[in-house]
Amino acid sequence: MNGEVLAFWVLAVGLVGSALNVVLSKNLFHSVLWLAAALVGTAGIFIALDAEFLGAVQVLLYAGGVITVVVFAIVVTERLVGERLSQTSRRILGGAVVAVGVLAMVLNVIRRSGIDMPRPEMTADITKWMGISLLTQFLLPFELLGVLLLAGLLAATYFARPEE
Amino acid sequence: MNPVTLAILALLLPAGAFLLIGVLAPLRRSGRPAAFLSIAAVATSLAAAIRTWQLASGSVEPIRAAWNWLPGANGPLATVGVLIDPQSSLMLILVTLVATLVQIYSLEYLHDEPPAAFGRYYAYHSLFVFSMMGVVLSPNLLQLFVCWELVGVCSYLLIGFWYRKPEAARAALKAFWTTKAGDVGLLIGIVLLYRLAGTWDILELEHMVKGGTLATAGLGVITFCLYLGAMGKSAQFPLHVWLPDAMEGPTPVSALIHAATMVTAGVYLLVRTEFLFHQTPQVLLLVGWIGGITALLAAIMACVQTDIKKVLAYSTVSQLGYMMTAVGAGFAGAGFLHLLTHGVFKALLFLGAGAVIHAVHSNEMHDMGGLFKRMPQVATVFIIGTLSLAGVPAFAGFISKEEVLGATLAGGLTGPFVMLLTGAFLTAFYMSKVVFLVFFAAPAAPGHAHGHTHDDGHHGHHGDPPFLMAGPLWILAIAAIVIGVYSTFFHHAEPEFASPGWLTPVAVAMGLAGIVGAYLTYQTRTISADTLASVFAPIRVAAVNKFWLDDLYLFIYRHILLAFARLIGWTDRYIVDGVLNVISAWTLDGGDALRRIQTGRVGDYIFAVAAGLLVLMLWMRGTL
Amino acid sequence: MPLSAYLSLAAVLFSIGLFGVITRRNTVGILLGVELMLNAVNINFVAFSRFHGTALGMIFTLFAICITVAEIALGLALVILLFRMRRTSTADHIDWLKG
Repeated sequence: MNGEVLAFWVLAVGLVGSALNVVLSKNLFHSVLWLAAALVGTAGIFIALDAEFLGAVQVLLYAGGVITVVVFAIVVTERLVGERLSQTSRRILGGAVVAVGVLAMVLNVIRRSGIDMPRPEMTADITKWMGISLLTQFLLPFELLGVLLLAGLLAATYFARPEE
Repeated sequence: MNPVTLAILALLLPAGAFLLIGVLAPLRRSGRPAAFLSIAAVATSLAAAIRTWQLASGSVEPIRAAWNWLPGANGPLATVGVLIDPQSSLMLILVTLVATLVQIYSLEYLHDEPPAAFGRYYAYHSLFVFSMMGVVLSPNLLQLFVCWELVGVCSYLLIGFWYRKPEAARAALKAFWTTKAGDVGLLIGIVLLYRLAGTWDILELEHMVKGGTLATAGLGVITFCLYLGAMGKSAQFPLHVWLPDAMEGPTPVSALIHAATMVTAGVYLLVRTEFLFHQTPQVLLLVGWIGGITALLAAIMACVQTDIKKVLAYSTVSQLGYMMTAVGAGFAGAGFLHLLTHGVFKALLFLGAGAVIHAVHSNEMHDMGGLFKRMPQVATVFIIGTLSLAGVPAFAGFISKEEVLGATLAGGLTGPFVMLLTGAFLTAFYMSKVVFLVFFAAPAAPGHAHGHTHDDGHHGHHGDPPFLMAGPLWILAIAAIVIGVYSTFFHHAEPEFASPGWLTPVAVAMGLAGIVGAYLTYQTRTISADTLASVFAPIRVAAVNKFWLDDLYLFIYRHILLAFARLIGWTDRYIVDGVLNVISAWTLDGGDALRRIQTGRVGDYIFAVAAGLLVLMLWMRGTL
Repeated sequence: MPLSAYLSLAAVLFSIGLFGVITRRNTVGILLGVELMLNAVNINFVAFSRFHGTALGMIFTLFAICITVAEIALGLALVILLFRMRRTSTADHIDWLKG
């Protein structure tokens, strides 16, 4: 058992555990914190897959940005409603059946696909390559992404504007 | 100009006037300008018609012009065009002449109408003149049928001109339905004829008959169907019931449409297709007998009418019977001659009656009386019309009536001849009765007090009508005399048949006897009208009740047609609709049940999507 | 570790996210589930990319992360808007579409 295997299993157990807590926790606030943990765990997976840059983006954008926004939203709605937001679940059995069914199907596909292949050696610096690609081959989508983010930002501001 | 151009000009001018008046609402609502436009158009048509007649009488062959209309596999299926020969051009003159005079007369007669109604009236009139000329000039039966229906529509519109009056609206509908009953026959006949002969063209049909290439098998049905159409239009027994009711329309309309022109379209149709009828003698016999019956029964009914217009209406029916009898006897020319003269003097009588009604404001003869002193001009022309109708020598109706009687006798229709002779006596009797009651007898006979007592002082019109009304009357009266004198003394056409020498004296004697009888009964009162009534009580009762025909139709309508309609309605409502209602109710219930699936909650939709995903994956399990 | 291990891990995360989306009543909770599912997809992208020896998948992941950020921002704005209009953040109470 080398380091990579060990890291994978530790991250996998942590990820699944936090994900379960996200969907099962009664406290919405705790759910968000567990989501942050899961996102950081995902960043770890990315690093284990030699995508350090993506790991960093994951931590900064998700764990930093998204979680902050969600917490804001929760705080704002709690302020408006004046009480703690507790959340309950419904249709737990049906949800479990469907989720487990989908999981079984996907795992079945993965098992039968014979997709396993040797992990190639790293030949170049992925981060550098990504940087170059983004500004050459993928320049247009990259710029469009900027427009999308701006539009999303404006729309969010408009929706959440104070009531007149 | 050549006759075709002239005829088409005559045909299209009123159509143009109708379109202008009909489309340009301001022109129509302005009233009198629309009237002047219409009169100008129809007067020009009259001039063109006279010129066409001059040109046509010079040529031996009929002039025909046709353009393709409905394209077909083997040449055109139908054509439109004009067919000009002495018959159609003479008829054209009659139509345009009477139409012009009636339109001028209407200027004064309908003076009190609001401008919009006035414009409407002239629009209908223009359309009618166009349609009637279309019937007259038609070179084929299909075009004739189209125009035939158009005149029917105009008749409907003009009878119902005062459509706010319930009787007028009812009469318009009755006229439309009754003539339509005959028109269905006509349409069937035309279609059958096409199947038999492969053409609608009158000249081609005539050639086929002369060449003997037209199959006679089944022709009887066709001619009978054509006759049905003529029966409806020309008010033959038993489809005559609409014509007396049609008197609800304005009197000038009655003069033009329901005396001089439209009602004669049936006779004209038979004259046009005479060669076909000659192939089917049994139908011709039927035409003759029904014509005789119509002439006699209508004359009897005319005797008991008290409404001056109704008398004239029944008289028209009776005279149409005369024409039909002549056609049925096989001598369509005699019938056509009577058609022309009758058109002139019957229009004159109607317009004269209109002048009287205009002055007295009543249709009832009991409200009139002694009017000779008040309106001598009207009385004079009315008497001229009466003498014409009675068949007195030197007046328009004399020769034509002799011709009809002679033709009937020569055709071997003895029964109808006796009816016609009796009818001649009655005709003279009832017309003289009108003359004596209206113009000479003491006014307002006691015992006949009507709803509104009429007081001379309160009616605006004293004496003879103004020039616009008197002019047309005099023109028609002079025409009646000129035709009469010319035909009686100067012109002796080669008769198609030999009439016995006793015929003329007998016929004239019948007419004079009728006049004398009326004089004795209604002027000197030597013979009591009440005694006459009691002597002829059974006939009188029958005539007053219109021989129960209206009641019979009403019975058929109420108890057979309506019952059938009710049955159909029931089937439709409870069986056809029932099935549909049940299906629609099920659909509604189903939709209502399915509606509950749409909870509107996002969670449910997401669950459904996820479950769908799972189902999809299960389904595709083997292929992945 | 083999590729299938990463894919299986992603599948598990996806299912957990799906479970969350189905069962949560709170709108914010549903959004959290969606985040988990998107995350699982990202893992797949990166894993395939790494094992195929090309970085294209990682570029996609980068884009996906950015789009997710926009999505979550809009989603939360909508949650707040709905909350204002209906005084609730429970998805079941939002049933304008009820037939």
